[in-house]
Amino acid sequence: MTFSKFRPTQLRTRMAALYAGLFILGFVVVAIVAQVMIEGQARRSVTAEMVTSGTVYDRIWALREQSLTGTSDVLARDFGFRSAVASGDQLTILSALETLKARAKVPVAAVVGLDGSVTGATGPLAQAMAQLPFQLADGRRDAVIGLGGDTYRLVSSPVLAPTEIGWVVFAVRLDAGEMRSLEKLSAIPMVATILQRSPAGHWQSADGVVPPTSDIDTLVSSSRVSRVISTIDVGGKEFYALARPLAGPQGEAQAVMLLRYSTSLALAPFRPIQFGILLAGLIVLALVILGSLRLAGAIARPITALQRAAQALEEGNRTEVDVIGTDEIGQLADSFNRMSAGIVERESRITHLAFHDQLTDLPNRAFFRQSLDEKLSRLTRTGEQLAVLYLDLDGFKSVNDTLGHPVGDALLRSVAKVLLGLTPDGLVARLGGDEFAIILSSGFEKDRPRALAQSIIDALVEPMLVDGLCIPTGASLGIAIGPDDGANSVQLLKNADLALYRAKQDGRGVFHFFEASLDQAARERRQIELDLRSALKTGQFELNYQPIFDLNAHRIGCFEALIRWNHPVRGPISPVDFIPVAEDTGLIVAIGEWVLHEACRQAATWPGHVRVAINVSALQFRHPGFAATVMQVLARSGLQPNRLEIEITESVFLDGDGPVMALLQKLRSLGVRIALDDFGTGYSSLSYLRSFAFDKIKIDKSFVDTIVGDASASAIVSAIVVLATALKMETTAEGVEDALQLAELRDKGCSSIQGYYYSRPVNGAAAFEMISDPNFAAAAA
Amino acid sequence: MFNRICLASGLWILTAAASLASPVTVVAKGADGRVLSGAVVSITVAGAPRPQPRGTYTMSQQNIAFAPHVLIVPVGATVSFPNRDRVRHHAYSFSPAKRFELKLYGRDETKSVTFDRPGVAAIGCNIHDAMSAFVFVTTTPFVAITDGSGRVVIDGVPPGQVSLALWHPSIRAPNNSVSRPAIVAAGGLATEIAPAR
Repeated sequence: MTFSKFRPTQLRTRMAALYAGLFILGFVVVAIVAQVMIEGQARRSVTAEMVTSGTVYDRIWALREQSLTGTSDVLARDFGFRSAVASGDQLTILSALETLKARAKVPVAAVVGLDGSVTGATGPLAQAMAQLPFQLADGRRDAVIGLGGDTYRLVSSPVLAPTEIGWVVFAVRLDAGEMRSLEKLSAIPMVATILQRSPAGHWQSADGVVPPTSDIDTLVSSSRVSRVISTIDVGGKEFYALARPLAGPQGEAQAVMLLRYSTSLALAPFRPIQFGILLAGLIVLALVILGSLRLAGAIARPITALQRAAQALEEGNRTEVDVIGTDEIGQLADSFNRMSAGIVERESRITHLAFHDQLTDLPNRAFFRQSLDEKLSRLTRTGEQLAVLYLDLDGFKSVNDTLGHPVGDALLRSVAKVLLGLTPDGLVARLGGDEFAIILSSGFEKDRPRALAQSIIDALVEPMLVDGLCIPTGASLGIAIGPDDGANSVQLLKNADLALYRAKQDGRGVFHFFEASLDQAARERRQIELDLRSALKTGQFELNYQPIFDLNAHRIGCFEALIRWNHPVRGPISPVDFIPVAEDTGLIVAIGEWVLHEACRQAATWPGHVRVAINVSALQFRHPGFAATVMQVLARSGLQPNRLEIEITESVFLDGDGPVMALLQKLRSLGVRIALDDFGTGYSSLSYLRSFAFDKIKIDKSFVDTIVGDASASAIVSAIVVLATALKMETTAEGVEDALQLAELRDKGCSSIQGYYYSRPVNGAAAFEMISDPNFAAAAA
Repeated sequence: MFNRICLASGLWILTAAASLASPVTVVAKGADGRVLSGAVVSITVAGAPRPQPRGTYTMSQQNIAFAPHVLIVPVGATVSFPNRDRVRHHAYSFSPAKRFELKLYGRDETKSVTFDRPGVAAIGCNIHDAMSAFVFVTTTPFVAITDGSGRVVIDGVPPGQVSLALWHPSIRAPNNSVSRPAIVAAGGLATEIAPAR
């Protein structure tokens, strides 16, 4: 979080730093250029000033010479003085020189005779003065000499009478005071210093102010040729300097006048400009930084808002960003808002799709399970109850098969509407296919689940008008009460399903509450199912045969093959117990196949007039490969087709009679006989008898049981026999248990009988013996 | 010109006295080796009679200049200094040969000075520095001024040991003069004289 907070600041800082950096870079370049130009300009300016000053110094130097020579000339031309010199009048000469020194402010003045004698000076200086007139080239009047640590300027004037009879020579010491007085005459504050050549050959000032350096030596040597201005270092300070060699008596300079000008002083006038540039740069820099921060802030703030919004969106929250302005950032914010809205909308659609059934728009199984779990967990706290109603449409598959899926879908939508209309107080969901479920949550009346189930059954028992078609429907319901019947959704739903299964077993169109025994039964069924699979593989099945006695031929005309299961642990298990399981699991097809093979194999060993009758369940019969199986069985066993009698019940017609009829015709064409089993029970319809010429009708045991005492049963049997006879169909009465029943049936014209009275089902070997045993025939008679 | 004639007539007398002596030809050169015109070459012969002043010697001032520039006179000669300019002059000499001062005299005033010692008197004008002249006061008759080519021809010098001297204001030597011994043969002498370099 701190990171996300820091980032925009960083962006601002980065932008500000970038702009400030660029400005500083530019400013430094400008400043450097300005500095270089100022330096150059200053240097040119100072150089020009110094050149000018140098020229001025030259003029001053020359003026001084003129002044001195003028003064000495005055003396040298004085008639009395010339007279004194000519006559060697020492006293007069000396007094005249004193007067001259005082007048001209010259420290040393002397008269040099033609013979080199000096009057007015003594010592080394006098010697130098004596030599001067003889050393100077023609036209030169003055020279500078170094004498010990001192430097003197010597000026001579000839004493003419009218030829030279001697010279007046002045000596002016070029000391600090002389230099200061020179400096005063300069326009710029230059420092003048006299340099002398040291014994080592370096130029330096006698007082040590200007120590010897190679720079100065170079400057002096190049100054002999032309005027040069260079930069030298004196006492740690930098100076612009020029050197002026002072001609000695014989031309060679014994001293140099160094004029120097401090660079800091020289550049001082330019400091305000430099300072101004720096100050302006700093002010503009501050402005640039402030402006950059402001601009960066204006850019970064909306980006921060967008970044936070994007983070919120990432965490699954719907967010909006305030749109400010119509620039790129404003457009971005606008796009972001639209994107955010789109994501939220799509998310809710996906969620809806994930938890809702597209066809009916009801909650789907996942949603149902989730809701159920939530509600159940709440129950454990409140101590209340909830009810789950599990609903399955009866005969929906045939609607899809015969009328097509669009109609089936429309029917499901109609059912959904009905359920929603009936259940304002519960959650209706479609679990898949034709299965629906309802949760009645807490606070319902005790009778509400039952009443709701009943009202649903009542509502759906009416045919429904879908797409202009009137479709007969119906529903079965299973009800489970939580948390008693299941503490979690899986358990509760499974138990509701068991109750539904039970309701279906109870004959559809009913509802059933879950009971613990249902659960037990379900466990058993599950065990049976598992065992069935191994039973087929390990040959636990066997066939028994119950003879059907032909009353007209007075012999056994047929055996009905009946399956027996000898469970290795539980012993014999009744077909009543395992056939429904086999049908539910689809194992009935494989089992039925085995029965066909086994029965036909056995029957092939029997005499030609004995047939074998085999029960085929509706599921097996409708199995697509059934006709092929029959043909294969006949071919393998070699049994005459007309010795095989397939027994079907009316239930095969339940899901539409078109395909069934075609199959029946096909079997008939093979020569296989078809018998209608359990006639008189269920939906017995005469129309079946009319649409297909069955070879035999089997009269249900329930009629035979009461044929002796019950007149109506007797009448029905009579009617069936008459009807069959008229349609040229045989009749077989099932479940004949005593002679009275046999007599009655024989009397009514029944063509064959089957039952304990004649024989219980027997194994294959017994059946074979029974055929050839005359006693059996006698018993039947 | 007038001076020349005077001098020439003096020389003629000498020549007549020592007749049949051979001529001496001298070329004068300066310290720089160039020929020296206007210099005075003199030959001193021991025992030779001193020349005697005859007539007048004149050093006139005309056009702010002395004329002639160099005047040779015998010892004891009196030289007149006529001013022929409209301005005044103040002729003087501090030379040991003759010190004198002719203070501020005007046009057509004539002053005279007698040179009674041998030597050279450098004469100037105290008013006009540019004016200068020399009066060469000699004790020998064998003296002459070099011509434009620095040459002099002196007749009548008796053969034998002589002293040859050269004077010129530019010569940096005492009295602006150098001298050396020379021998004049019967046939005369042709030589050069120059100050030491």
